[in-house]
Amino acid sequence: MTTARPNRPTRPTRVDELIDGRLMAKLDQVDVISRKIFAGKLQGERRSKRRGMSVEFADYRHYVAGDDLRFVDWNIYARLDKLFLKMFLEEEDLSLLIVLDASASMEYGDPDKFTFCKRLAMALGYIGLSNQNRVTLWSYGGPEGEVQRLSNLRGRRRTQEMGAWLLNRDAGGTARFEDAMKTIALGRQGKGVLIILSDFLLKEGYEKGLRYLASGGASGGSSGGGYDTFAMQVLSPQEIDPARGGLTGDLKLTDVEDGDVAEVTITPALLRKYKATLDAYCGNLREFCVRRDITHVTIDTSMDMDTLLLEYLRKRGLLA
Amino acid sequence: MTWLTPLTGLLLAAAVVPPLLLLYFLKLRRRPAPVSCTLLWKKSLEDLRANAPFQRLRYSVLLLLQLIALLLVALALMQPQIDVGQRRGGRFVLLIDNSASMNTLDGDPEGRGRSRLEQAKALAKARVERLFGTGLFSGPPGQIMVIAFADRPEVRTPFTDSRQQIIEAIETIEQSDGGTAVAEAFSLARAFTTTPDPDDATAAPEAPASLELFSDGRISDLDTEVLKPGESLVYNVVGRAGDDNVGLVSLAAQRPYESQGQIQVFAALANFGAAEISTDVQLSVNGTVQAITPKPIRVPGATVDPTSGAFVAGREQIAFLPFEQPRSAVVEVALLREDALEVDNVANIVIPPSRRLRVALVDEEEFFLPGLLDDLKLTMISDVQSMTGAQFDALAEAGELESFDVIVIDDYAAKRLPAGRYLSFGAAPPLEGFNEFGVKGQLFVRSSKTEHPIMQSVDLSDLYIHSMRAITAASDIEVLAEAPEGPIILHASRGPVQVLHVSFNPLDSNGPLGHNFVTLVCQAIEWLGTSRDALTREGLRPGQPITARLPPSARDVRMRQPDGRETSVATPDPELFAWGPVKRVGLYDLTWEMPGGEGRESRAFAVNLFSESEGRIDPRETLTLGQEQVVGRRPEQSLQTPLWPWALATCIAVLMLEWWVYVRRTGV
Repeated sequence: MTTARPNRPTRPTRVDELIDGRLMAKLDQVDVISRKIFAGKLQGERRSKRRGMSVEFADYRHYVAGDDLRFVDWNIYARLDKLFLKMFLEEEDLSLLIVLDASASMEYGDPDKFTFCKRLAMALGYIGLSNQNRVTLWSYGGPEGEVQRLSNLRGRRRTQEMGAWLLNRDAGGTARFEDAMKTIALGRQGKGVLIILSDFLLKEGYEKGLRYLASGGASGGSSGGGYDTFAMQVLSPQEIDPARGGLTGDLKLTDVEDGDVAEVTITPALLRKYKATLDAYCGNLREFCVRRDITHVTIDTSMDMDTLLLEYLRKRGLLA
Repeated sequence: MTWLTPLTGLLLAAAVVPPLLLLYFLKLRRRPAPVSCTLLWKKSLEDLRANAPFQRLRYSVLLLLQLIALLLVALALMQPQIDVGQRRGGRFVLLIDNSASMNTLDGDPEGRGRSRLEQAKALAKARVERLFGTGLFSGPPGQIMVIAFADRPEVRTPFTDSRQQIIEAIETIEQSDGGTAVAEAFSLARAFTTTPDPDDATAAPEAPASLELFSDGRISDLDTEVLKPGESLVYNVVGRAGDDNVGLVSLAAQRPYESQGQIQVFAALANFGAAEISTDVQLSVNGTVQAITPKPIRVPGATVDPTSGAFVAGREQIAFLPFEQPRSAVVEVALLREDALEVDNVANIVIPPSRRLRVALVDEEEFFLPGLLDDLKLTMISDVQSMTGAQFDALAEAGELESFDVIVIDDYAAKRLPAGRYLSFGAAPPLEGFNEFGVKGQLFVRSSKTEHPIMQSVDLSDLYIHSMRAITAASDIEVLAEAPEGPIILHASRGPVQVLHVSFNPLDSNGPLGHNFVTLVCQAIEWLGTSRDALTREGLRPGQPITARLPPSARDVRMRQPDGRETSVATPDPELFAWGPVKRVGLYDLTWEMPGGEGRESRAFAVNLFSESEGRIDPRETLTLGQEQVVGRRPEQSLQTPLWPWALATCIAVLMLEWWVYVRRTGV
């Protein structure tokens, strides 16, 4: 029998194994876009609703005492003898939050979902860093079972730091999704893009956890509290089609997270039912996300990373 | 259902089923396989179970099928048998046909020449064995009665549940050559079945028994029978169709008028098969071949009458050339051809020595009868001695009338009639049962028994009787002709005294003027003169008794049968010797000793089949009793159907199904 668990030696140990130079060169041309225009703490490369000090003119308003005289339009004052203040669109930075599921179930499949997610997180993070976005990485689950964070990275020079942090993440334990999402929702600041990389195969359900993110958490805002949320459901080919993983005959299936056992006899009828159940599960997740303005993306780990980033995620509106 | 070897099957099941279960559980040990999450699998299983109401059964369907296959093998080893459409218990009457047609040697499918009776007995015994059962779970057999029947039934054993007694009763049924009449057998069976205790008339009648007939269906009186309400008849057909049979159906011999020392033999052959056959016919006299037909006799095949639908056997007559034989002789005619039924291939006839009757005439008027008797001297009468009434009475007192074969008394009131055969006219004979009560006149014959030998070819409608003696006759006196005013011709038998009485004087009628009355007198003298000896000439049929008039002093009477067995017959009155009824055809030799005589006297009797109904040997497949049709059951249609081939076939089918299910379940 062939198991879907990858061998340990194949796991990346260096940053360039997570992302190579060729891909980095391609990603230099890519930026993370948001369906929303955010106000950031620092001037960044984002256009913001907030009028500010960028070069793009926005509007005029009457001068009031205390305004910065540098923004008075003296030409208009000369013609109209009134003081008008020029208003510009201010460019702000973007917060990019990448949440990595490090539960034991992610270490399944060939290629395994956890390594795939680390590479994807690395690529997305690099895009964020190279575009001067404020990148924060989260992971939940793992052998420690705690929520880990690497926050507020900006600039390409932080790429190695981000890669090292990702390399140090190990899969294991049980994903307490609800608690993790609650922690992340409370811990995030400002506004930006939130990407969750998980298989979302959760016995306790994903609804409560996602609801934390959709409700805006500590920000208290609606529609994700200013965060454009992406739920990326990463599944291995063996989960999409168990027959490809060599699951035949009479089996004793063991859940790698909680040790739960399911005794099955693999039959065509059961496989058909499994696929229908999987489709229904993913469909329910997608519908749940759509209702809460969360973008749901299903990713097969057998998918090529270039294709995923440069074509698939572009089409889904995450990258541009 | 019976089980021939139940222990074998049980042992096999005990030895194989537990290991199968063990193997099945071993086989169910599942390979461990880690998955990311069992959520979807469990949900899929739940859905699958929810949508399949027999999920639990299907889950172990392989085990179930394998168990069924093993149990079927065990079942096959137990050799179950089932009685198809038969009930057990209750009462059964086995009616076994042992008539002549059951001699036919076609009863064995393998052609070993077993007679139909032997096969019928084997079938009946097999039926008894089935009723008693030989298996582990056999039920009570019920009560069985055995009746053998040919022309009359014979209870071989009354109702009994003793298997040994029933089997013995069947095995000891002997072959007979009689005809086939089932009516009496049915009556006998009903008498036993509906009356539980013949000695207790108040006992409640019981339900009719099940009648089981073992026969070839050639039953002459079947059309007169109907099944009573509640009765059931199972007809087991014995014999096969297609065999031909040619038999002798008539044999006669006579001494020509012109040469009384010669014998001429006539025979009639009947072909009961559809195809024409030819056969040589051999004539033997006293065991010596006398003649064989110069060329084979061709007998046409049987046909069916297109108008009536009746079966018409093909016939051919043979007349052998006369041969010199003044003394008595046993003539045998045999067909030199083998066929399925042999008993009708040979016929015998016993010819008495050339002999004429000696007649005494007691006649006062000496007018009509003397002249008639004188004329008969040319043929049947050798000597006529006339005497007066007084002379007759004197000779009767002296016991000197034994030398006369027939004594004709013409209107004389004799004092007594010693032993002898008498033809009397006018005055009533002095016998009990004859009562004269006057004279009647101007009479015509109203009715007559034309079937009586003396009345054959006689028409008395023109007979006018001027006057006659009015007589009342006892019930045992047979009236052969009568007028409205009383009987005219009567026959009385009083032991050694045989009397044919005509109640008028011939001269008081117009009888002497016509040929009918003359014929009547001639036939009466011949019949009386040959009475009791006549059968020896005509031959007997199976089922009839052998009667003879032996000398009063005969002793140590013995009867030798055709099969060589000799039995001693105790007869209180040798003059009224009777033995039988005879069952087989052939020659019967009656011997006796006379005091002071040298050696033993003997007389032969020939018994022949001469039966067209028995000669037709193709078995009848369906019996018609009234409105009911009883379809015959063939012996090869064994009612004890073995079930083990079915069990094995089903087992193979189950194994194939199990294989298919397994492949379907494991193939992805």
